Amino acid sequence: MAKTILAVDDSASMRQMVKLTLSTAGYQVVEAADGREALAKAKSGVFNMVLTDLNMPNMDGLTLIRELRTLASYRGIPIVFLTTESGTDKKAEAKAAGATAWIVKPFQQDQLLGLVRKIIGA
Amino acid sequence: MTGADPGQVFREEAAELLADLESALLHLEQNPTDREPLDTAFRALHTIKGSGSMFGFEAAASFTHHLESAFDRMRKGELAATTAMIGIALAAKDHIRILIDDPASADTAVGDGILARLADQSGSAAVSAPLHGERDDEESRATWRVRFRLAPDALERGTNPLLLLDELRGLGEAEIVALTDDVPPLEELDPTRCHIGWELILTTSHPRSTIEDVFIFVIDETELTIEPVSATSEPGVEQEPVPAEMPVPVPAMVAGPAAPKAEPVPEKGRAQPAANSIRVPAERLDDLMDQVGELVIAHARLKQLIADSVDLQIKSVTEEIERLSNGLRDITMGIRMVPVDSLFGRFRRLVRDLSQELGKDVLLTMSGEETELDKTMIERLNDPLVHIIRNSLDHGLEPAAERVAAGKAPQGRIHLSARHAGTRVLMTIRDDGRGLDRERIRAKAEEQELIPPGAKLSDAELFQLIFHPGFSTARALTSVSGRGIGMDVVKRTIDGLRGTIEVSSLPGGGTEITLGLPLTLAIIDGLLVRVGQGRYVIPLFAVEECVELPADVERRHANRNFLNIRGALVPFLRLRDSFAVRHPPDPYQKIVIISSGDKRVGLVVDQVLGDHQTVIKSMSKLHADVANFSGATILGDGSVALILDIAQIVAAGQTQELRREAC
Amino acid sequence: MAVTGTETFEALTLGLGGEIFAIDANSVHEILDIVPQTEVPGAPPLVGHLINVRGKVVPLADLRIRFGMERTPPTIDTRVVVVEILLDDEPTVVGLLADKVHEVTSIAGASIEDTPDIGMRWNPDLIKGIGKRGDDFIVIPDIVRIFTTH
Repeated sequence: MAKTILAVDDSASMRQMVKLTLSTAGYQVVEAADGREALAKAKSGVFNMVLTDLNMPNMDGLTLIRELRTLASYRGIPIVFLTTESGTDKKAEAKAAGATAWIVKPFQQDQLLGLVRKIIGA
Repeated sequence: MTGADPGQVFREEAAELLADLESALLHLEQNPTDREPLDTAFRALHTIKGSGSMFGFEAAASFTHHLESAFDRMRKGELAATTAMIGIALAAKDHIRILIDDPASADTAVGDGILARLADQSGSAAVSAPLHGERDDEESRATWRVRFRLAPDALERGTNPLLLLDELRGLGEAEIVALTDDVPPLEELDPTRCHIGWELILTTSHPRSTIEDVFIFVIDETELTIEPVSATSEPGVEQEPVPAEMPVPVPAMVAGPAAPKAEPVPEKGRAQPAANSIRVPAERLDDLMDQVGELVIAHARLKQLIADSVDLQIKSVTEEIERLSNGLRDITMGIRMVPVDSLFGRFRRLVRDLSQELGKDVLLTMSGEETELDKTMIERLNDPLVHIIRNSLDHGLEPAAERVAAGKAPQGRIHLSARHAGTRVLMTIRDDGRGLDRERIRAKAEEQELIPPGAKLSDAELFQLIFHPGFSTARALTSVSGRGIGMDVVKRTIDGLRGTIEVSSLPGGGTEITLGLPLTLAIIDGLLVRVGQGRYVIPLFAVEECVELPADVERRHANRNFLNIRGALVPFLRLRDSFAVRHPPDPYQKIVIISSGDKRVGLVVDQVLGDHQTVIKSMSKLHADVANFSGATILGDGSVALILDIAQIVAAGQTQELRREAC
Repeated sequence: MAVTGTETFEALTLGLGGEIFAIDANSVHEILDIVPQTEVPGAPPLVGHLINVRGKVVPLADLRIRFGMERTPPTIDTRVVVVEILLDDEPTVVGLLADKVHEVTSIAGASIEDTPDIGMRWNPDLIKGIGKRGDDFIVIPDIVRIFTTH
């Protein structure tokens, strides 16, 4: 069965790119435009990985990560966040919130694929 | 896949963002200290830079990068939003637009000129956007001993050591050995902890840095040694220098309430000019909330109607409307948010008066007074909190002499605290008095036939009994408490606010009451489900996860409804039984696991339809006695769905179980 | 229960279960075509469903239940009469199911007769009186009582 990924970003073009890249590689992608929508989708579905931006309206990425980690069903599920190169303090913060890994923006499609394979396999 | 060219989607998105940027800049010019337009401007630049680079608009991205840095500094307070700066930003915005829409016609001289002015203003030379590093592969093969131990909680954080090992194997030839000396005996083994370490002998032509890169995400918490083998090996443990410093204190933008942007509200210690506020009659705000609520519903209907459409323009406009109505909703809710301090503050006087009346020395402390709640909720919390505090003072806290005899300080303490937890607010009232008397509560409950004699109850379940009407273990009704509003009214008020109330207590150690409250009364995040032919909404905060009902459980007769979720037994309840549904059940039923208090219960439904956010409509007076539902909501197709009252449904299921057990 | 005197009141007449009922026209907000109903498990049968009236969630009442009438399925003439009544001094909006809506007409005080106790199929307490319009008997229900007694 295909692995499912929850992709969270308030930028529609970003979501589209992620969906395109990952679904052609055989992953199933569900989108959410902000943390609130993501949390709702996470609770009503099952995902192998969550990929989220940090800077979003309605519920930002850090809060989303914290909320996901309070759910028993999300312990052990990798959560990857998007960050810019200058954000070393963000990385520490996100890790403290429970994130597993990160990818630096801007990234190319093959970088995204490589990361996802590294985190959850094919 | 719609087949839309991602570049075109980006251009459209960028056009919107640039429009947002322009209005934010103009607004900022008029209100240079306003936080919100500054954040909007930053976010627009940030997104354009990030997405631009991804979709091949390199020139736009690297140009925007400089603006983004400047605005980031403005956010941090390092730069002021002067008129000159705004002027540069507006010129930059125009240039960015050209770089996106028609890069060939862009005049680099104009761009450079803008950047030069920017550098002048921000007092720093523009640093060119960092390039991606290239890695060279060395041809020489070397053998390394790689030894690593992950942090014990690595598994819980989603790290999969097997994938790490696969990655290492992919670099060359590896012999792997597991280090099991840290694995504890079975009784002490926690399967969620990582007890195993690994050691590999890896022969690879990749440089050492590539091996280190495998651990890039876990390097801070991992004990890692990489030593060359059969070469001059350096003695001792080589530890990767920690790249990140201690986390910087979280900026106010990220922490704080999730729902409202709360920009207009002051932080603790930051002075806010009082001159810029106006008084508004509360009813007008309510009207505004109603209208906004209607807008949210109307948008949901629109979204449903165009769900099958392939018209990108309509979809894009609908998304825009969603963004606008969500924004409007957040702003409106933000207007109604008031710090809890306005509530807590009243109690100082109350505690002072009561402690004098009762002859007890009591200190009231608080934390989190700046936490914000909907104004209406604050009003309605007053009475329940007064009652709880009175109880603490009257029954909970012992007189000084008794305290000293018990080894406590003579002064009793009551602590009020409030904090945000995700989409809720948690409020606690804690005293360090004598705590709840379990035996008396149990005796009273059996006497009132609330529980069968000898029933096994956890502390949490036992304490919930104090919320039953007529239940009072107070030996004497004093003038202070024990009459009038009782704990059952407190519970009903909290239920009416769609809140939860939990009690914990230690004998001699005091009692802590925790209220869980939604951020607003008006809007609910829910999970939409179908039971039979009816659709219902389960409040999302209570939902933990959704699972399938295993077929064999289905076949078993309904004597003991339990499910095994990752080793824990979770009782479940069939909603079709609670709702007397005659319609035959779906072949594959689902269970929504919810948490109520410290209990987890599964609710069996026919279908989980998805998440749903909408306005809550209160129940009519004619339905006031219908126990299972706390309100209703209007779905995207215009029909009505009822919102489940979690506490009631779980309690009803509880009673059924107790009765069954007693038989 | 008798309504004496010469008060005339404006009433909306509607057909339900084979009889004609009169509802105080002042209390009527609007008349809707039949709309999707949502069942409310656990609610009293009289108000067992909810409907959406312009964004407001309103209980749908089937008076036939109180009067022991046969509940035939809706037809093309079925309507919902949305009224606002005072229950315990609280204005409450409720939708009344009607097989057919007739007209607004004056019911003259003089023609409002006492409820004859004989030959009544239903509870006389629930009725304010019986009026006449031409050859037809018109039942004036006591709406508040219908909703407040069990």
